[in-house]
Amino acid sequence: MSMHTSRYPGYDVLRKRDTPSWDEPTRKVIKERLATPSDPRFLDAVQWRALEALCACIVPQPIDRPRVPLAGMIDMRLHANAGDGFRYARLPPLREAWRIGLAALDEESKGRHELPFASIEPAAQNALLKHMQHGELASGAWQGMDPQLFFTHRVLPDICGAYYSHPLAWNDIGFGGPANPRGYVRMYYDRRDPWEAVEAKPGKERQALKENRRVR
Amino acid sequence: MTNNRMRWAGIACILAGVAATAAVMERPQQRRLCKRARQVHIETSRAFNRSSALLAGSVLADSAMEHYRGSFSNPVMYVPPLVATFSILAGLHGGADRHAQTHTVRHAIYWGAALTGLAGTGFHVYNVMKRPGGWNWNNLFYAAPMGAPTALLLSGALGAAAERLRNQPARAPRLLGMPAGRALGLLSGIGLAGTAAEAWLLHFRGSFQHKAMYAPVSIPPAASALLLHAALTSPQPRWLARVMLRMTWLVGWLGLAFHVRGVARHHGGWRNWSQNLFNGPPVPAPPSFAAMALAGLAALRLREREPR
Amino acid sequence: MSGDPQHEPRGKNGRAPDVLRVGGWMPMREYPQNEAVDFAIVGTGAGGGTLACRLAEKGFKVIAFDAGAWWRPLEEFASDESHQKKLFWTDERLCDGEDPIKLGNNNSGKAVGGSMVHFAMVSLRFRPEWFKSRSILGYGADWPIDWREMWRYYRIVENALKISGPVTYPWGPKRGRYPYRAHELNAAAMVLARGAEEMGIAWSPTPLSTLSAPRGLAHPCAYRGFCVSGCSTNAKQSTLNVWIPRAVKAGAEIRDLAMVGRVAVNEAGLCTGVDYFREGRWQFQRAKHVVVAGYAIETPRLLLLSANGRFPEGLANSSGLVGKNFMVQSNQAVWGLMDEEIRAYKGPPSLAITEHWNYADKGKDFFGGYAYMSQGPLPVVWTLTQTKRGLWGEALLKEMQHYNHQVGLKMVGETLPQERNCITLADEKDAYGLPIARVTHAYCDNDRRLIEHALDFMGKALDAGGAKDIWRETDDTCHLNGSARMGSDPRTSVVNADGRSWDIPNLWICDGSVFPTVGGVNPSLTIQAIACRTADRIGVLAARGEL
Repeated sequence: MSMHTSRYPGYDVLRKRDTPSWDEPTRKVIKERLATPSDPRFLDAVQWRALEALCACIVPQPIDRPRVPLAGMIDMRLHANAGDGFRYARLPPLREAWRIGLAALDEESKGRHELPFASIEPAAQNALLKHMQHGELASGAWQGMDPQLFFTHRVLPDICGAYYSHPLAWNDIGFGGPANPRGYVRMYYDRRDPWEAVEAKPGKERQALKENRRVR
Repeated sequence: MTNNRMRWAGIACILAGVAATAAVMERPQQRRLCKRARQVHIETSRAFNRSSALLAGSVLADSAMEHYRGSFSNPVMYVPPLVATFSILAGLHGGADRHAQTHTVRHAIYWGAALTGLAGTGFHVYNVMKRPGGWNWNNLFYAAPMGAPTALLLSGALGAAAERLRNQPARAPRLLGMPAGRALGLLSGIGLAGTAAEAWLLHFRGSFQHKAMYAPVSIPPAASALLLHAALTSPQPRWLARVMLRMTWLVGWLGLAFHVRGVARHHGGWRNWSQNLFNGPPVPAPPSFAAMALAGLAALRLREREPR
Repeated sequence: MSGDPQHEPRGKNGRAPDVLRVGGWMPMREYPQNEAVDFAIVGTGAGGGTLACRLAEKGFKVIAFDAGAWWRPLEEFASDESHQKKLFWTDERLCDGEDPIKLGNNNSGKAVGGSMVHFAMVSLRFRPEWFKSRSILGYGADWPIDWREMWRYYRIVENALKISGPVTYPWGPKRGRYPYRAHELNAAAMVLARGAEEMGIAWSPTPLSTLSAPRGLAHPCAYRGFCVSGCSTNAKQSTLNVWIPRAVKAGAEIRDLAMVGRVAVNEAGLCTGVDYFREGRWQFQRAKHVVVAGYAIETPRLLLLSANGRFPEGLANSSGLVGKNFMVQSNQAVWGLMDEEIRAYKGPPSLAITEHWNYADKGKDFFGGYAYMSQGPLPVVWTLTQTKRGLWGEALLKEMQHYNHQVGLKMVGETLPQERNCITLADEKDAYGLPIARVTHAYCDNDRRLIEHALDFMGKALDAGGAKDIWRETDDTCHLNGSARMGSDPRTSVVNADGRSWDIPNLWICDGSVFPTVGGVNPSLTIQAIACRTADRIGVLAARGEL
């Protein structure tokens, strides 16, 4: 869990929902995203547990705000079978890659700790993922899929890409969020429009908090 | 200042500008009174006071908006709207004042406005030069506008001229060592040309996408040329100059209407005013033509009556 | 609004969506299937859409097909990176080779208007010498077209799209003023400018296909920053809102959601029409001429898919070069942090550019050139860039906190044509039952030296611009070109200068696939210029009775 305090305290991009920064199609899309179910439609219970644990490692979310339903977003995508428009010839298709990968993650974990991935200590989880990242896993459970490639071309882009498509994550990084019809006026260094997040400069956190609560 | 307050301050400034504009509109009844009193130069002074006020109104609204856009990043950015407000008040006061005598406070305010305009030009030049590319088209388009502080300088100059004229004798008044009509004709002619130059720069930035955008870069320069001609040649009735100056006056007010429509023409229209007032055409800018036309007409009237 | 444009065709019943008006329609001519139209064009992007317009305006009967939807930008484009994936070609393709490329979001569109619906609007001309790079510069292949002729067409396209560009352009032969003025620079662009000035090279506001002032019903740019997710203001001037409406007005028919699966050829070796899938069934449209304009993957794929007894190796392939010499552009970048807030998400992503290394030949240990531009990645693209350097967990979150201070320079670099870089058919099938494309790609040593030079120079320029903690993004590509090159010799090219196939006289190609070389600039302006030229040439040939 992250204890990192936000650089944009009090900023909530959703407060702009009813301003000229948001249009109707965007409101609809974001509403659907916010309503992502937190139980699986595509994955089975075992895969789901592994995925949830994996997401928590890849994106350790701040504890002082609601969580982005990452596993649910991945599951929705698998349910829709929404591919990228290409895949490396050495990787199987989207759904198959995730099925194999999640099962193999549990197998690797059991091989080392006799427990599935979701049940081992966070430190052990991270260690296992580092092995995957560096190409140091080789159990037969991978069914010929390259674990390193799965990590760099499925796990990281899919999970992190889903995370930063969520308004809660936009708040953390001070992104202006949706912008139609109202775009932006002030383009110069160190300039912000009144409808953009205020960055907390050291010692001025309270002021930033106050101003961010008024950002519309 | 916080966002919201800044926003309201901007709106208040615009409203003040509009109100000031309405207040300085010439009333023909008063003109007749003046004429009867054969106080042509006082009439001219008052017209210049009013013109200065109208120009200052444009500067007030424009500088308040643009400096709000610039987030008042430098505290001196509060000065021009403040000075312009004083300039408006001085102009309103002078416009109603028939005394044949310089008013010291007004005169001081006008000098303050002129000096502020001069200093502002310096700040704006610095702003352009410090950007990458320095003195290039893009910086002239988008960095601090060169023409804006000059308008404040001009407002001060028109007012100061009005005050000095009041101290002159009713018969053959002189300014800057020449007949007053000539001096004022030159001042307003050059000012008008400068205003047209700024409109050209900004309409060039807008690629003259609408045919009406050619109006302020053709009619006012013609009026300016005719006025300068009238000032420099021997005094006689100049009907064409008068017609062109009246058309310039019209260009100013029609321009305002076009710019209001131009804001609506941007994405999201007036509903998206918090963006489009700033990215759209500057609403307060065109009335400065009306102001310069008022000064030009007054100067022309004086010039036409001067001895050959 | 009417139905789901991804499931129900809109170009039907004698009308087409008027994308410039909310809920608007415009009348559209329709042609019967059993009567041969003059031209059946496959694809409505920079090549096909432009050609459809110019041919229709010359009075030809034209139908253009697109596999994608006919979107209404004012009503259906959300301000959202993920949702707007609907504009991309997301049907599966396989990528392999030593340096497999990524497709989908940054180089492949599936919509009426093609990739121009999500392109970054960068509208650059080729350097004149590139049209003779073999003879003058000693690499690649010569184009069969003279640069002066191309520059005339560039002008036409720039006027058609009202490109916003600088009053004077610092590189190459003198060109006229751009139709619209350049946009204001954002802070990210100013960092590029500062860096260039420190390094002693020229820079310029980028010529962009987005309006800096109103034009007709189209609004000027609102600096939303979602350009590569689709422009919902219509400020972006693209095939979708410029060429296609003009085409429809001139009598062309556009068939959306119509996937062409085969070009039919008769016993005499001439095209007779196209098989296309629309509204749940395969249909056939007769045509006197067929133009393939599917971009550098789908074009060779369709030619290969159309193989038959007469042309067992695929259509127009007597040279064996269909699918070969496929070229991307290297799209590596350097990134760093500024003390100031940059907020690069505001405004079009690439507001400043330097083409210095496209025009300078000294001090290079490689052939070809590159431009580099300022950048404005939105959060999803930015996190994907970060994950490419292996960041995850706390390290990733910490890095992402710097989002509003990050700044970068990204290249568009020339790669050399190589026959081993190719498009072939895979065994796997798509939803239409057609074999999917396999895209094989590897850089050559020259490409690598060019990239190294660019990364080194951009790193110094970013440092000089005031950035710190600079790092390199070493693997990205953009744009798809080559794969059916034009030339003056039937043995070494697929089509002639007019885009006409050497083998089948009524088969044409009009898109980025005809490029013999790619140069170091974004290709869309050149593709449109070629389309305008092809249309003019067709007009001339028709008048001479040589069609």
